[in-house]
Amino acid sequence: MSDAYAFDRLPLDGVRPGTTVLVTGPRHEGARELGLRLLAGPPGEGAIVVTTNQRAERVADDCERVGIRVSDDRTAILDCVGDEDDDVPARVLPVSGPADLTGIGMRFSDVYVDFNGDGIERVRTGLFSLSTLLSFGDLQTVSRFVHTLVGRVDSVGGMGAFLLDPASHDEQAIRTLSQFCGGRVEVREGDGGPELRARGLPDQPDGWLPFDRSPR
Amino acid sequence: MILCIDSDADELSAAREALEAGGFRTRGAGSVDAARTALAEVGPVDCLVTEYELPDGSGLGLIRETRETSPDTACVLYTDVGIGEMDTEAFGEVIAEYVPKDDPGSTDRLVDIVEHSLAFRSQTAYPLPDDEDARLATLSRYADDPAALSASLDRLTELAAAQFGVDSAAVGLIESHEERFLSCYGADFDSLEREDTVCTYAILDEGVTVVEDTMSDPRFSDNETLAAAEIHFYAGAPLTAPDGRAIGTFCLQGGEPREFGERDRELLSLFADQTMEQLELRRRLRETEGADE
Repeated sequence: MSDAYAFDRLPLDGVRPGTTVLVTGPRHEGARELGLRLLAGPPGEGAIVVTTNQRAERVADDCERVGIRVSDDRTAILDCVGDEDDDVPARVLPVSGPADLTGIGMRFSDVYVDFNGDGIERVRTGLFSLSTLLSFGDLQTVSRFVHTLVGRVDSVGGMGAFLLDPASHDEQAIRTLSQFCGGRVEVREGDGGPELRARGLPDQPDGWLPFDRSPR
Repeated sequence: MILCIDSDADELSAAREALEAGGFRTRGAGSVDAARTALAEVGPVDCLVTEYELPDGSGLGLIRETRETSPDTACVLYTDVGIGEMDTEAFGEVIAEYVPKDDPGSTDRLVDIVEHSLAFRSQTAYPLPDDEDARLATLSRYADDPAALSASLDRLTELAAAQFGVDSAAVGLIESHEERFLSCYGADFDSLEREDTVCTYAILDEGVTVVEDTMSDPRFSDNETLAAAEIHFYAGAPLTAPDGRAIGTFCLQGGEPREFGERDRELLSLFADQTMEQLELRRRLRETEGADE
């Protein structure tokens, strides 16, 4: 798959364009870092990060730490947290809050068209995190939002990584949300550090595999 | 059918022309009120394409209202109002596709997004089986003449309700937007929106799906249809056609939470298999009769 979205220095094979993966794992055991690392692509790709619970400045720092080249012409942060941050090297776009799923969806469409107009055809989208959205909205509403966003990522040949902390939700909620996604990557703390396991995605290695929180 | 709503007549016809050139049938309306009248006339539409600013309300309000009676209608906000000027916060749960009108190529994008939303049904609030299109094609082979089977299915649902000691038992087919009941014992459902039924989730899994208490399951705890019908317990076995696709369920409902053991699951699967066999025999009979004519 020459057009696959590849993942640098992670024990995961690339995924075909249009794929969204649900990343599940405890917040402090590498799941968020892994979700961000899935967004780090080669030069020329764009990244859109929806943040529901961290300030844009912090998100931009974390992105850089995992190897995303943050710049305002190819990195957008959809900020549901609100504090106006100056000096963030990304394009920060405000959303009124994590209950405003309509606003998140529209900002996504808008910035995607902007990127496309600037000649950026490959875009990775991260959502950090679905757990916050579920604490502000019911499962059915969040389901419609996830289904629509996964559909958008698919229709434009992008790649999506949506984070969910499984400890905060019922198994039925996790299963339902994973059914909208092309597959799931689980994260856990292993003996020697964080480990991941791919499920439901074609052509991925089997079993739990160790990975580094940062690429270096 | 796509309903387009815009108070600017020129922009309305431009959107309709682009969609019709893309192969869609459209209808136009210039206000929220005219849209309501159109919907009352034609019934649920596949897709709603609306401007944000309308003379008597907002496009997002119209989308919210439309989804109350037609939850699967795909909705697109096609507008020249900027995001910053829209009150999305007041409509945070509405969720719609968004195409700004003033971008170059916006009509092409509109047609693309409508096509994709309808082809993949990506705005539903429930997951679809991976093989949904093929599943619906299979279903269409069984859905021709359901009334012919009602007497034998009514016997099965009555037997099942007695066997399991539940309030009601039913046979339902999961169509593209609704579940249509071929038989109900102890309840009186004709059809239900797909997003409101537990069977929508039951056909995603192999084997029997049991929800011991709908009120403690996040998929159903806010479901007003189940609450109104006082359904707390659910068990459903898929009706699996010979090609392996699930076209509906044989399901049980109860007013109180309860457990459902391994033997119960086996027996419920037998009811589902028996129902599927009836449907299959009926289909073959129809085909033979059709060939004789």
